[in-house]
Amino acid sequence: MTEPVCTYAGDRDEALITFLYDDGRAEPEAERALFAAHLRTCAVCRGELDTLRGVRAQLARWSPPEPKFAPLAPPNPPSVIPDSRAPWRVPVWAQAAAAVLVLGAAAGIANLDVHYDRAGLTIRTGWSRDARGGAAVAPPAAAADAAPWKADLAALERQMRSELRSVQASNASAAAPRAADADQIRRVRALIDDSEKRQQRELALRVAELMRDVNVQRQADLVRVDRALGLVENKVGVEVLKNRQQMNYVIRTSQRQ
Amino acid sequence: MTWTDEELVARSIGGDSDSFNELVLRWERPIYALAYRTIGREEDARDVCQETFLRAFRALPGFRGQAKFSSWLYRIALNLCRDWIRRERRAPIVQPPEDIDVMELAAAAEPSESIEDLVARKDLSRAVERAMALLPEEQRTAIVLKEYHGLTFQEIAELVGCPLSTVKTRLYQGLTVLRRELAKGEARNTKATL
Repeated sequence: MTEPVCTYAGDRDEALITFLYDDGRAEPEAERALFAAHLRTCAVCRGELDTLRGVRAQLARWSPPEPKFAPLAPPNPPSVIPDSRAPWRVPVWAQAAAAVLVLGAAAGIANLDVHYDRAGLTIRTGWSRDARGGAAVAPPAAAADAAPWKADLAALERQMRSELRSVQASNASAAAPRAADADQIRRVRALIDDSEKRQQRELALRVAELMRDVNVQRQADLVRVDRALGLVENKVGVEVLKNRQQMNYVIRTSQRQ
Repeated sequence: MTWTDEELVARSIGGDSDSFNELVLRWERPIYALAYRTIGREEDARDVCQETFLRAFRALPGFRGQAKFSSWLYRIALNLCRDWIRRERRAPIVQPPEDIDVMELAAAAEPSESIEDLVARKDLSRAVERAMALLPEEQRTAIVLKEYHGLTFQEIAELVGCPLSTVKTRLYQGLTVLRRELAKGEARNTKATL
């Protein structure tokens, strides 16, 4: 008896693989139709195609172990601590830009005035400068007043007013950072709370996983023990049966004699 | 709103680090799976995965969109796997534990699955892993890219740099070896049971 032989004219292995994966773009429709027609008549190719489909089904059962990606790409919420192993989180240029922005904002808050003239470089800070400037420019009307004490009184009043304004202004400028600090503290506290909650959740999860693992292992062991016992019982049963048959045979033989 | 890979790449090049993070989240599992199935070691696969994204990040300004981002990423990962195999001067080694890996088993357990099914499934998974480790690198890569990543023959040919017909031949030869090895494994199991 001769084995069936495939008589496909083209490259059979390639055609088989293309048909197996159904990759339409890899083969013209005509060739596919040709191989499909061939399959109807060729038991060898049909058999091999079925076997390869079986192999593919087995391959689908292979899953890699679960990766632990925590340091690579943490989910929300984003970490406030920069991770040097993942430089794409905050690029260097962004860090530099942020630093410039912070410096600019700080200079603005401090009312920084940088002045360069023949006298050299002058840097002044603080909110009282305008007030002092305002005090220096006194209205000339006071000079025209006849009584000197009135002029002194008016000057004193102006000075007090200007000092009062400067105190108010400095209070206002100090209030903003205080509010910012409080906001910052609130955020840090919230982050710490979140972190603690996350850790508690993780701990609970780990404990639950551990319990589950122990349970799974126990069950797996039980299954194995059960299987092994079954096998032993089968073997013992077969042996007993053989012994019994031999005994019967011996008894029958001895009775005949 | 969901951005496409190409849009996220453009935004990353523009300096948006969140976009690159999104790309990492989107592709880290496929890249890890590719690395694991190619080199067969969990820790090294993680390293390869991390290195892939690091290299991609560094090379991002040079990415001109001539290929799909995923193909580009796969290429980087495959090159790293190849380097790893050369460096180690050995075929990928898959060392399944003698007994059941409890953590793995627990992670893979599905609520509706009985313990017997689970054990059988893990056994089969290990058998496939062992059989895959016996394949030459080119055949294994072709099978991994086709079976587990759904790439077309053309995409695989472009990725590994060989003609389309070679890809098909590698697939055919690889599947044939796998069929033989898996059958051997089944025969061994049956013998052991009897």
